Amino acid sequence: MEIINNFGLDPLLLGAQIVNFLIIFYVLKRFLYKPVLGILKKREDTIKEGLRQAEDGKKLFEEAQNKEKEILTRAQNQAQTILEEAKIQTDELAKQIEQKAQKNASDIINSATEKINQEREIAEKKLSEYVSRLAVELLEKSASELFDAKDQKQLIKIATDKFKKLN
Amino acid sequence: MHSSFAAESVVQIGIFKVTNALINALFVDIIIIAICYLVAKNIKLIPGYLQNATELIIHSFYEMTESVAQEKAKIIFPFFMSFFIFILLSNWTALLPGVTSIGFFKDHELVPLMRGATSDLNTTLGLALVSIAATHIMSIRAVGVKDYLSRYISLNPINLFIGILEIISEITKVISLSFRLFGNIFAGEIVLFTVSGIFAFLFPIPFLTLEIIVGLVQALVFSMLTMAFMAILTTPHHQPDHA
Repeated sequence: MEIINNFGLDPLLLGAQIVNFLIIFYVLKRFLYKPVLGILKKREDTIKEGLRQAEDGKKLFEEAQNKEKEILTRAQNQAQTILEEAKIQTDELAKQIEQKAQKNASDIINSATEKINQEREIAEKKLSEYVSRLAVELLEKSASELFDAKDQKQLIKIATDKFKKLN
Repeated sequence: MHSSFAAESVVQIGIFKVTNALINALFVDIIIIAICYLVAKNIKLIPGYLQNATELIIHSFYEMTESVAQEKAKIIFPFFMSFFIFILLSNWTALLPGVTSIGFFKDHELVPLMRGATSDLNTTLGLALVSIAATHIMSIRAVGVKDYLSRYISLNPINLFIGILEIISEITKVISLSFRLFGNIFAGEIVLFTVSGIFAFLFPIPFLTLEIIVGLVQALVFSMLTMAFMAILTTPHHQPDHA
């Protein structure tokens, strides 16, 4: 008891200090630790979410880049194919046009040649008729002076027949 | 100036003596409530200076608790941190100029209006009792009544003997926690009183610095021991503990 008195131990004071600490404990827990730990957790979550979003964004960006490359490669391949097809088609078309032109030219030449031949034949025939007629007329004029009427007729008849045979 | 173990009574309300140590404890309460109010009022996701400092301290101590108590950190941390803050502020406010020197004369002796709360055994014993009671309540909640009692009571004579030793150790925990804190802080005050009595200027400064360190160390010792006891007793009896 003397020791207790020397140290000033008092049940009321002891109780008061216990109650005092318990109140302070409650105040600290309710108004300091809870909000501060809450805000720390919230910030941690925000940072984690931000990092996650950044990671997702990075993934999306990489995916977009890959997709872009894929699309470009596909487009290049398609363009190459189209070009090749176009070239083949152009070559074929050019060939067809050339063939057609050649055929047309050939037809035109043939047609012209035929026409020329026809014209020539007609001209030759007309010329022959004309020459024959001239010859007959010349013969008639020459024979009138050299032969009598009977011989003239016979001569002209022979000449006319020969011209007819020639024509 | 006081030099007795017991805290001096400043006012008496009925049978209740309001001692200078209790007034100091109330002063510490005001500081803590003010800090809580300022922090809680202005808490934001992007912190200011006060919130930043508070977060730094609380987060550091929470991580320290997690490193010792792992998943039980959430329930142990409030006790650990509260003991630390209350004891630290009690120790340090006792070093403020005028705390042990401003008072009134009673029977030709100066009775200071305030004296370090932790230099009164009522405070330190109260804190130790709260610490041990909270530890045992936490233990019962964590491991269950059966496992809790099996730590102290057993039909096996060897375990029964160990159980008795455990009960004695629980009593000594209260004594060691309360007297260690009380002894260190009270001795510090006596040293400062004596040194200031020899030469009041500049000479006490190294001792004052030492007391600041002692105040911090004692607050840490008390709170960390509480944390260790809580971590041990909340671990099931037959499992290895983490502390």
